[in-house]
Amino acid sequence: MDNLLAARALMGASLAFHIVYATIGIGLPLMLMLAEGLALKTGDDAWHRLARGWIRPAGVLFAIGAVSGTILSFELGLLWPQFMAFSGPMIGLAFSMEGFAFFTEAIFLALYIYGEERLSRRALFLCTIPLTLASAVSAVFVISANGWMNTPAGFQMIDGAPANVQPMRAFLNQAWLHQAVHGTLAAYVATAFAVAGFYAVALLKGRGEADGKKALSLSLSLALVAAPLMLVTGDWAADAVAENQGAKLAAMEAHFKTSAAAPLIIGGWPDPETATVSYAIRIPKLLSFLAHQDPDAVVQGLDAFPQGTTPDPRLVHPFFDLMVGSFFVMALALIWYWWPRWRRKETEPGRAQLKCVAFAAPFGIIALESGWMVTEFGRQPWVVKGYLRTSQAVTPNDGLLLVFATFLFVYLALTVGIMRLLQRQPKETGGEVSHD
Amino acid sequence: MTDPVTLAAMVLVVALMLYALFGGADFGGGIWTALAFGPRAREQREALFNAIGPVWETNHVWLIFIVVTLFTAFPSGFAAMFIALMPPLVLALIGINFRGAAFAFRHYGRETGRDVPLSASVFEIASVLTPFTLGMAVSATASGTITINYGVTATGTAVWLTPFTIMGGVIGLAICAYLAPVYMTVRVAPPLQNDFRDAAIAAGVALGVATAAMIPFALRYAPRFSQRLLESWPMLFVVLAVFAGVGTQLLLLWRRYRWAQVAAAATVVLTLSGFAAALAPDLILGEMTLEAAAAPRSSLVAYLTILPFGALILIPSLAFLYWTFRGEPSSTLPPAGAESDSPEKM
Ligand code: HDD
Ligand code: HEM
Ligand code: HEM
Repeated sequence: MDNLLAARALMGASLAFHIVYATIGIGLPLMLMLAEGLALKTGDDAWHRLARGWIRPAGVLFAIGAVSGTILSFELGLLWPQFMAFSGPMIGLAFSMEGFAFFTEAIFLALYIYGEERLSRRALFLCTIPLTLASAVSAVFVISANGWMNTPAGFQMIDGAPANVQPMRAFLNQAWLHQAVHGTLAAYVATAFAVAGFYAVALLKGRGEADGKKALSLSLSLALVAAPLMLVTGDWAADAVAENQGAKLAAMEAHFKTSAAAPLIIGGWPDPETATVSYAIRIPKLLSFLAHQDPDAVVQGLDAFPQGTTPDPRLVHPFFDLMVGSFFVMALALIWYWWPRWRRKETEPGRAQLKCVAFAAPFGIIALESGWMVTEFGRQPWVVKGYLRTSQAVTPNDGLLLVFATFLFVYLALTVGIMRLLQRQPKETGGEVSHD
Repeated sequence: MTDPVTLAAMVLVVALMLYALFGGADFGGGIWTALAFGPRAREQREALFNAIGPVWETNHVWLIFIVVTLFTAFPSGFAAMFIALMPPLVLALIGINFRGAAFAFRHYGRETGRDVPLSASVFEIASVLTPFTLGMAVSATASGTITINYGVTATGTAVWLTPFTIMGGVIGLAICAYLAPVYMTVRVAPPLQNDFRDAAIAAGVALGVATAAMIPFALRYAPRFSQRLLESWPMLFVVLAVFAGVGTQLLLLWRRYRWAQVAAAATVVLTLSGFAAALAPDLILGEMTLEAAAAPRSSLVAYLTILPFGALILIPSLAFLYWTFRGEPSSTLPPAGAESDSPEKM
């Protein structure tokens, strides 16, 4: 593995790892806020107990989110120093604002987790509000930096160096809004499904009756609100990508040759050598319609861009299908869960419904990870689209393979630790046990 | 004074101080859980753990803030440092990760005895590794060993592994080990208070010895830095730091813990001020000035503009946090297993 490949693999693995905890760091605060709010409003203390039951896993997951995020901010310099020397003045603003959001988040999380005996019930609920806002806002900020990499703005290139830097313009780049909205909502969907799946499994095993049902209806209500928005904002994102990132769109859709009345290609394996897609389903004219609202419109293919400036569709198209496919899996589970309740006023979810929810549960995070793969692989070979290639950005240090292997081990150790921690049977005696 | 480069540099130094004062004390807590002594070793560890619990994540954000400020305001300096100092920074990162994880596992986990010794020793080792390597990295920027020729930053062990940077790492450790017990003296009652007083006095001596020992190393291995530090006005900070350090020891002896806490913090602030004053106007000694490393003016102005808004949110929240968790550290988490009917008990 050469240095560049090791750096890309390490960056990708670190981000894929971090985003799991970041997602929960965005979604869980909202769930806490809703549960504590319901406890105050209805006077039903079960909601409060439910929320407090989440704080142990939340504490661990947030801690891992913080340390994995630290890895990332160091890796920007350790792996991509030339990228940061180029981009720091433009994307630094987003990261600086994110820094304040992190502070707010860490502070109010600590107050919520440790404050049970020192704060009133109302104050505890109030702490969840800045917590929820700060986590959503931190996503919106960091995504601005990513949007800038996809659609750079706010500077001019003069003699090979950026000049006339306008940080606010860079912040409000073309990809920012759709990515921020779609990407933040994704965290809510993914968390809601993860929590729902957890309780569905518990109920299937005959545990946690009352609280489990409460948690299930809370998380699936959240999913019911957020999931349709995924379709709407995803469509918006695709439109925006068609407009500003033509090569990414072509790779997403495995659309090799520029053509009118382009079909939508679902599934299949794209082959860049022959510019064909094998084993795919084709829906005539649909791509033209989706991308340009006109069934006969011309859609640029990968051939419309100079050689060596386009992403590899084998890394992009399958992930795009996986994201959209996951949406439909989750949508089905939601319909199956809510339809009988709404039409037939049933109040108890049946076993089949629970199984369906449990099956759909991982697809939130699957969709989210694959959506990010679409965005990131779809930008290649650029780190700053049109300006700086990934290969130009990488550090001159060698031995990156060793660093990659080291961090892979770190992630593995953390994952094993978390798994064991979350699964372990608590000792009935309880109490904090000292380590000596 | 008001030019944006100087202001941004001052923000960077202040952030470094705050990280040392808050984050450093958390690392010190880890160091003293390893060094816990006497008949109350167990109580010492418990108190340290419970004190760190609610605040470590917030204190950790100061490090993020430093990194972000560095790449926003001094992007080319950031790039050069992260190329030259990759090995110590990677080690620091590994320490940060295992420390955070080990702490969280011990704190939120449902301890079963079996795992606790593992996470405890990981926590202790990582609490030593991280301040040491970060101290190395910070002092390397002043050692004069980082070189940049025609925009190419040199790499290799000679850049970051010198007797000077090793001493820098030792001082980093000593600062952390010094702050934690001083802060603890105001938060616990005797007899634990006396233990932390003894620990603080010992650590104060260690810090004094380490900084005094640094002088010959600096003269020999970082001559330019020591010249700037000792032969000009930054020397004033050194003198004041010595006074503050001696004062802390006396206040500890007299059991004036509140004042000792202030004096200890002042010692650290003055030490870092001396370092920064000697390094200025460079970011990387002799190779890159702050001016040369700085981002375009518009970026600096944007960065400096958001700071007051951020501070407006941050300062009251921080005050509320430290106020809420003042006094005797306690474990306000429900004991493991108390959430009796939650289904995560699988
Ligand atoms: C729960 C997760 C989830 C779900 C169900 C969907 N997405 Fe998505 N999608 C994401 C999670 C996600 C993401 C991980 O959050 C991404 C990656 C980058 C971003 O901003 O959001 C993303 C990116 C992303 C992009 C690329 C944006 C860019 O690179 O600028 C497009 C075009 C879509 N999505 C389209 C869709 C469509 C048409 C969906 C149909 C239902 C859909 N997404 C469902
Ligand atoms: C959190 C979800 C994200 C995931 C899962 C993700 C995934 C990836 C992957 C797989 C790569 C390697 C691509 C390749 O080289 O082929 C990559 C590269 C990179 N990503 Fe992301 N990414 C995410 C978000 C972000 C954000 C928000 C930023 C910036 C603010 C970012 C910055 C980068 C950089 C700098 C690189 C290296 C250069 C490059 O390969 O283009 N990523 N990411
Ligand atoms: C879309 C991608 C990302 C999202 C949505 C996201 C979101 C979050 C959230 C919500 C947290 C706090 C929650 C927690 O601690 O679990 C967090 C932590 C963190 N993230 Fe990310 N992040 C993303 C990508 C990145 C990238 C690319 C970087 C840096 C290059 C980064 C750096 C950090 C840091 C440093 C922290 C720790 C803050 C602390 O100490 O509390 N994140 N992220």
